[in-house]
Amino acid sequence: MAFLLRRVVFYLAAFIAAATINFFLPRLMPGDPIQKMFAGAGSDLSLENLNALKLTFGFIDAPIGEQYLAYLKSVFTGDLGRSVRFFPLPVTELLGRALIWTVGLVGTATIIAFTIGTLLGVMAAWRRGTRFDTVISLSAIFSSSVPAVVVSLITLFAFGYTLRWFPNGYAANPMLDPSWGWDYVGSVLYHGTLPMLTMVIVLTGGFAVTMRNNMINLLGEDYIVMGRAKGLSDQGVMLWYAARNALLPTVSALAISLGAVLGGSLVTEVVFNYPGMGNTLYQAILARDYPVIQGALLIMTAAMLTANFVVDLSYVLLDPRLKRA
Amino acid sequence: MTLLTQLLRNKKALVGVTILVIVILVAIFAPLLTEYSPTQRVGRPHQPPSADHLLGTTRLGHDVFTRLLYGARISLAVGFGAGLLITVIGTVLGIIAGYKGGVVDEVITFLTNMVLVIPNLPLLLVLAAFIGQASPLVIAVILGFTSWAWGVRVTRSETLSIRQRDFVKSAEMLGEPGWRIMAFEIFPNLISIVGINFIGSVLFAVITEATLEFLGLGDPNTVSWGIMLYNAQNASALSVGAWWDILTPCFALAVLGLGLALINFAIDEIANPRLRTGGMLARWTGLIRRGEGTL
Repeated sequence: MAFLLRRVVFYLAAFIAAATINFFLPRLMPGDPIQKMFAGAGSDLSLENLNALKLTFGFIDAPIGEQYLAYLKSVFTGDLGRSVRFFPLPVTELLGRALIWTVGLVGTATIIAFTIGTLLGVMAAWRRGTRFDTVISLSAIFSSSVPAVVVSLITLFAFGYTLRWFPNGYAANPMLDPSWGWDYVGSVLYHGTLPMLTMVIVLTGGFAVTMRNNMINLLGEDYIVMGRAKGLSDQGVMLWYAARNALLPTVSALAISLGAVLGGSLVTEVVFNYPGMGNTLYQAILARDYPVIQGALLIMTAAMLTANFVVDLSYVLLDPRLKRA
Repeated sequence: MTLLTQLLRNKKALVGVTILVIVILVAIFAPLLTEYSPTQRVGRPHQPPSADHLLGTTRLGHDVFTRLLYGARISLAVGFGAGLLITVIGTVLGIIAGYKGGVVDEVITFLTNMVLVIPNLPLLLVLAAFIGQASPLVIAVILGFTSWAWGVRVTRSETLSIRQRDFVKSAEMLGEPGWRIMAFEIFPNLISIVGINFIGSVLFAVITEATLEFLGLGDPNTVSWGIMLYNAQNASALSVGAWWDILTPCFALAVLGLGLALINFAIDEIANPRLRTGGMLARWTGLIRRGEGTL
């Protein structure tokens, strides 16, 4: 429990750090920060609304320390300001809608890629030095080194434009109303296939390499020999003795790579015009909609921290030593 | 020197180094390999590949092949520049944290963990958005100062184990100053970790620079692979069927990425002999397997 508590305190500190970056960035840039932050709104912003926005971002007539506290207060009360591009729309609402799509896409892709990658890594390590291992290792290196932009553009070109098997954009057919009916869900799955495929291609290789290398390092251990001496089957030793122990460092590698996963989804969403966080952030950058850009950093950080916490929880389950500590 | 000879004997490293050398040569000799200028309109828009324009033209009538050659300069410069910065910061902080321990270690580890959980690409996007159109140099600098955390983590944990060895203890007994122990006793033993960190950081910087530029945060007048992607995407190259415009920078990034990743994988194999599977070891495991029957 102490372990989890320490993690929570750490995550809180990390979140405040992200908010601090948001607070100081506009103030460090040359020029008038207020002008810069809200310039995208043009003349639609009434004085009253502008003052409300200024208050949210801590632009008040007070020393910098009080401004900082004012900003932290609005962040922790869930007020991230309003989008200047879609004016009265609150940033939390705009990004909240997008977050659902991203979590769905990233979550599913990570689970699929982690499962496939880990299994391939286990098998490659078990048959190290064979042709199977060479093929898996080389394709894994290739998949983990090619940028997500490149994979998404090539996937889009091959399956979207040339073969025309899948749609080129959107999360669902825009003619359909969202519902739990088969039409809509089917459309979501159909539209999600290419972005999902891209993410799985980008992620699987990294997981496979990590698992393979962890596993090879373990294969010389005494308890592997012991498992064999007990007369366990080949697969029994591979899965329950070697893979089980090699999984621990792989899970902590997963936690570190979550940021990269999020980055990969950001690019994929832009290429496939998928309405998630990445695409929303991209549109906000094009329009220089700073409240949305800053809000996206905070919400993505919060999402990362939550995912890290889930990994911590699974770590406690996987490693019984932590329960006692 | 031994690391270098071992590298050249490894097949993966050989392929990787060959790719890297070709890209470097292309970048240096770009003006000799093409008759066009990368920034001038030299043909009609979106011409398919032909004898005049080996890889076709962009919507603005630039020669794609020429831009590919000159673009390698920026990708390599940003990659190696940012990679060096990331590695230096990561290695120095990692060794100090691992060797000094105590409060220094705790502060550095805390900072490192914090940087690791704040998602990198969104952070870079926010930074770049406030800076405006970022030149390759600015991109390299912000990459360098935001992406060192992974290096600190691995260097620190390796330093922790080296610090316990006898030669470090004896240097301490002899009264060598701390900086000397870190620089001349510990650092040489970290060379493979530093190598992996450097090549990995170069790969990361090349990919991230291209990504930032693709997302419209770069300076559109730069001739680089990321800006090529950005222009091609803006010109809707895929939907008008100008595949050469968009697939050329894709191919270049994929090949350079593969080359760097192969080198990294090879260094890992050399530093950690258990991972080595080619050549002797393969034959040896093969023999054992056959001898033992079904393991």
